[in-house]
Amino acid sequence: MVKQIQDSQVNRLLDLVPYLIANQGIALDQVAKDFQISKADVLDDLNTLWMCGLPGYTALELIDLSFESGYVSIRNAEVLSKPRKLTTIEVGAIIIGLCILRESYSPSDVQIQVIEDLIARLSKKSHVTAPVALSGAVSNELRTEVNSAITTKRNLMISYHSFSRDEVTNREITPFSIKHDETYEYVESFCHLAQDFRSFRLDRILHGEVGASASNEFPRNEHAEDDRIEIHIKIQSNSRKIAETFSVKVAEEFHQGDVIKSSVYNLEWIIRTISSLRSSAIVIQPLDVRSQVQLRAKKALDLYV
Amino acid sequence: MSRKSERLVNLVIALLATKRYITKSEIFRTIEGYEGSNESMERMFERDKDELRTLGIEIEVSGLDPLFDDEVGYRIRAENFEMDKDGFSPNEIAYMSLAAQLWKDASLSDVSQKAIRKLSAVSVPADISEIPAFAPVILTAPTFLSELISAIADRRVVQFKYLDAEMIVNVRKVHVYSYFSLKGFWYFSGLDVDKSENRTFRSDRVMGDLTVSKKTDCYEIPVDYKTDLSFKENSSLSEAHLHVRTGRGSQLRILASTIETGEEFDIIKVSYSSEEEMIALILWHLDDVVVVSPEPLKRSVIDALNQLVEVHG
Repeated sequence: MVKQIQDSQVNRLLDLVPYLIANQGIALDQVAKDFQISKADVLDDLNTLWMCGLPGYTALELIDLSFESGYVSIRNAEVLSKPRKLTTIEVGAIIIGLCILRESYSPSDVQIQVIEDLIARLSKKSHVTAPVALSGAVSNELRTEVNSAITTKRNLMISYHSFSRDEVTNREITPFSIKHDETYEYVESFCHLAQDFRSFRLDRILHGEVGASASNEFPRNEHAEDDRIEIHIKIQSNSRKIAETFSVKVAEEFHQGDVIKSSVYNLEWIIRTISSLRSSAIVIQPLDVRSQVQLRAKKALDLYV
Repeated sequence: MSRKSERLVNLVIALLATKRYITKSEIFRTIEGYEGSNESMERMFERDKDELRTLGIEIEVSGLDPLFDDEVGYRIRAENFEMDKDGFSPNEIAYMSLAAQLWKDASLSDVSQKAIRKLSAVSVPADISEIPAFAPVILTAPTFLSELISAIADRRVVQFKYLDAEMIVNVRKVHVYSYFSLKGFWYFSGLDVDKSENRTFRSDRVMGDLTVSKKTDCYEIPVDYKTDLSFKENSSLSEAHLHVRTGRGSQLRILASTIETGEEFDIIKVSYSSEEEMIALILWHLDDVVVVSPEPLKRSVIDALNQLVEVHG
């Protein structure tokens, strides 16, 4: 089933006419695909259009359509024949898209100038401004390498900064696809070092290079442990930073003295994060994590003696 | 549903085809679909006009002349309705389509789909084979991005609830001057009307939706306005000397101006503007980092560590 977009029929009909004129004889299925509607909706649209035209509404004035054969041709629709003007927000979507496109070329590419001229002209016409910066946390070089490894089905050699362990490791991975959540991009992979399926944050891959080998078998290490920990933290200050760190969304749910629960993947991450929050968040449970925080802080203090 | 669409399409055709303004009574008399009492036709027409305007269709109204009891007339100018496609080469149309396609499954996907529809009616052969393959682009744009863009384009005032650093939600009223995306977050900048200061807001800290004023041209974007992308609260820099355990402290090493290699610890120099952030970063590294100087920074880190031991006792 095609994904329906938020739209009104009249808006669609006004776009359908110039589209059909530009694509005389197009198959009904293709129309349904291009407009992301069902074939029944296409037929309903065509039957509606068939009743439209200039005042008078005789055969001379009505739009003439034929589509019984499964292919659509249209006549007598001169008034609506031109493609419609893009709305402000449609131009906005295109401008941002063009800016992203521009980033995907190397700076020396001749296409960059074409795209920049186009952005400038669109902005001038519509008063829609382009974003003043649009930088992902991922370099184009890395993106190209990852993408090429995926498409050529070859392995990728990466240097990965494991944030929680604060270590850089070199790994060979077989990348499958790039996914993203609300904030970060990940490459879904099989990691030959961990012998398990892993997601690596793209912005933490310091270096990546397509390797020579390919892998078809993925021997999983069944002893790979799931180090997810349920943790209880007492909040000692109303700081946005804490809410964002532990993904607590709504401010109303969050008060000084409250104990929040969070699920964390990594013991090292929680110890270091709690330390960086300067006692505005205190670990209550589990007790061994609580004493670990204390132990590690003591070890750090020992360095000053 | 179809009957109404039919009437609206007929209305658009009639208003586009006419060279002069046509009056309401002409509309009611000649356009198929206007039926019933005069009052119900009036209501119908008002709703139809509103609906077409929300679709971005500009309906022109003839000036009212007080000396003559003329009826108001309406029409749609072709130049306000049709795409000015002369300005674009086939290649550019192809780029525009491709740019719109990037929004697939992202916040502006519906809008883009409509743009693609319009562009696909431009019957020019396009050579998009020159466009390189690239990985799916992350588009973490906020749901209110379209409101934001049209607010800037029309100079409308936006109002929203914002979560500040102390976790207090308050209502902000802003003249938006610019927007941008950095490292996975979307921001917008402009004049905070109540504070009379330029501010930058992170989109995911906006609670709920943006309200956009009906009125347009409420402000002007200062010609010399430049968005501050550095986020520096305090531009005066301090320098810290730190001992960082070998093989550790990637985040600090990236910031370092010099690194002197040592046995167990390397000695690095780091410049910083926010002491708070520097302390947090040092604390994050626990026993992998020792502060040598400045003394106040060292003192703060030791105090924080002592407190940490105490509260976790």
